[in-house]
Amino acid sequence: MKPLPFEGLRVADLSMMWAGPFATKLLGEQGAEVLKIESPSAWDNIRTLIPQPGKSDPWNSSYYFNTYNRAKQSVTLDLAQARGRQVFLELLAHCDVLVENYRADVLDKLDLGYEVLQAANPQLVIVSMAGFGKTGPDRGLVGFGPVIEQMSGLTSLTGYDGEDVPYKCGVSYGDPVAGVAAAGAVVLGLLQRRRTGTGMVVDLAQREVAATLAGSAFVAAARDPEVVHHGNRHPQGTAAPRGCYRCADEARPDRTAGYNLLPARPFDEQWIAVSVLDDTMWSALAGLLERPEWSALSLTERLARHDELDDAIATWCAPLDATEAVAVLRDHGIASSRVLDTVAIHDDPHLRSRGFWVELEHPRMPADWKQPGVAWRSVQSGRRLDRPAPLFGEHTRSVLRTLLGYDETQLEELHAAAVIGDEPINPGVG
Amino acid sequence: MDQPLLGMKVVEVAGGSPAAYCTHLLAGYGAEVVRAEGHGSPGWTLSDDESTYLLPGKRRILLGADPAGELARLVGVADVVVLDGTPGRFDVAAWRQANPALVAVTIAPFGQTGPDRQQPADDLIAFAAGGTMSLTGDPASTPLVTGGSQAMYFAGLHAFSALLAGYYGTVVHGEGDWIDLSLQECLAGALELYGPAAAHGEPAALRFGNYHRAVWAVYPCADGYAGVFCLERQVPALFALIGDPVLQEERFRDPLQRPAHDEELSAYVLSFMVDRTGDELIRLGAEHRIPFGKVRTPAELIAGPALHERGFFDLVTTADGHLVHVPGRPFVAFDWSGGGTVTEAEPATAAAVAERWESR
Repeated sequence: MKPLPFEGLRVADLSMMWAGPFATKLLGEQGAEVLKIESPSAWDNIRTLIPQPGKSDPWNSSYYFNTYNRAKQSVTLDLAQARGRQVFLELLAHCDVLVENYRADVLDKLDLGYEVLQAANPQLVIVSMAGFGKTGPDRGLVGFGPVIEQMSGLTSLTGYDGEDVPYKCGVSYGDPVAGVAAAGAVVLGLLQRRRTGTGMVVDLAQREVAATLAGSAFVAAARDPEVVHHGNRHPQGTAAPRGCYRCADEARPDRTAGYNLLPARPFDEQWIAVSVLDDTMWSALAGLLERPEWSALSLTERLARHDELDDAIATWCAPLDATEAVAVLRDHGIASSRVLDTVAIHDDPHLRSRGFWVELEHPRMPADWKQPGVAWRSVQSGRRLDRPAPLFGEHTRSVLRTLLGYDETQLEELHAAAVIGDEPINPGVG
Repeated sequence: MDQPLLGMKVVEVAGGSPAAYCTHLLAGYGAEVVRAEGHGSPGWTLSDDESTYLLPGKRRILLGADPAGELARLVGVADVVVLDGTPGRFDVAAWRQANPALVAVTIAPFGQTGPDRQQPADDLIAFAAGGTMSLTGDPASTPLVTGGSQAMYFAGLHAFSALLAGYYGTVVHGEGDWIDLSLQECLAGALELYGPAAAHGEPAALRFGNYHRAVWAVYPCADGYAGVFCLERQVPALFALIGDPVLQEERFRDPLQRPAHDEELSAYVLSFMVDRTGDELIRLGAEHRIPFGKVRTPAELIAGPALHERGFFDLVTTADGHLVHVPGRPFVAFDWSGGGTVTEAEPATAAAVAERWESR
């Protein structure tokens, strides 16, 4: 079988929350050996953010953590202790890559500045993912994904047609964006290392990566600094009508896993998105709406009468099941989709057909728990997603034994000093 | 030049922003990107502003009388080919067979396989199918697509990193790859905790608008909108900064009691935010380690000092001859060649490019 691209690479992963772990998940999925390093006293907060009810070790049973930390090994090391830092630097000598997403000043405060890291391994490719970069006037800001999204210009672009209020994305969008980019930055560093023979530091500011996704808005800002919101309509007016329309509600009684994170509802509202990309689609839609007199409307006319056309589509959709409505629209060649919610997306026939949802056996998760598959599908080599997220500290001893040659006495000394641990110290909520 | 992709030969089969954004990043880090136009297979296209942003630094060639043959010859000597839109318009498998070291990245709304693979889609449709739209927008209004065609650009970013992974695999292991990217899957794999929660039996999350809870929300501020996004460890600092003694009461301090008093708490946070400018909040956030953010527009970012001091911006020339600032290198480490002018597409040059690439 064709090897995965990163087979043979070892990655030290100091990242936490979502952005950095998203990056190292991608590296792990492509074959890298990822060592996720957490302190017994300062672990990845995601582990305990949403504790699974009734579990004695909630840090091992979080669906949030376990989704984005698969294909990794878990190693505990307290970097606040000198002995922990010493072991860490020994480990780095056996690694190709280090990924971290601390605030810009944290590594220095831990006495693990770049000079120290590079002295431990001059071949090391270091990717730092501070929210606002390692330099510049904003380097000290604290930032999670929504802050990054706001400060990059992206949030300002989202809003309802004709309204000024900006809207954040429904997920912490800055995080996966930075994570995907960081995986690319790692590869650039590795390619450069092959050319030069030495390692390097990549300074990835999450805000800057996010801003690159809004480049055309910066061009537009030169003409008019005010942002105009278009809602779900086409921003350049090259498709119309275009929008989101409500269908009949879907009954979903008794759905709860006991977290009380989200309100249980007997019915969920269902929506579809429709985008009329050309005159042919429009003619077909006019027929469905039983308005043959509209079938020859030009794009210009459709844009001028967008409100009226929206009303007609909304009326047509309102009594229909969302899946059936989309099936009818697609049968007529009209670009459309259900607005798949977080439940419906797991039952989407297309994603199921592609085998997108995967079940990886995990000792603390239900057998039928589904995770998203690999987004980077190799058509010819096939996937080999077979490593679930690790338990806390699961691989500490084996890694220190195998890579550093530690014996049981040394491991017990480290454990007694809480440099390594099998569970978090004082775990709480959040 | 200290560029990691010097020598990489890239063909972008002209289409929309996913492929163009991906190859824009490749070109910036040293790859030679040829954008092949006039292939006669319509798919996604670029807006004028996207062309201004994404096309400088690339050579545009206009395919001639035998577009399929010319394209095959180019791809036959390339390291990488990137294309977007619905599948089946080009014989990617044949390209790979003819050039086993080739890394092909296809970016389609629903991927290369499955019952929906040929369904037409734009950014809105892909965003809806990917799940993120169900979480975005005001709960009292419709689901909302995010601005800036993010389903397209997010997939383009995935393509950049996936392509580099494939290329690295070729360099190390000696064989190319064909990477099938789906806009829908890129989004569906990034549903934060809400996707995994539903997979674990929780109800579907309804869109949140700008408000998840009092300490994780966007509020009006004195000069626009600003957000505060606190984890539990940052809540005490926020309460201390707001300074009202009532926030020291157990019902607010205890994270288990707080949800029952969230509406009341939000009034305290709002009254604090609305009296302060975004810059003031950001300064306070840096001092007190509280994650405040201001909703900045592109014009505000261009006008501010922070990104200029980091040398972030490129200068590009618009079609009417104006120089404008656009986002430049995504990360600092390597030389970046960005910005410039969009060149005209050159007719009948595919064979010459292929010959030059063959000779390397």
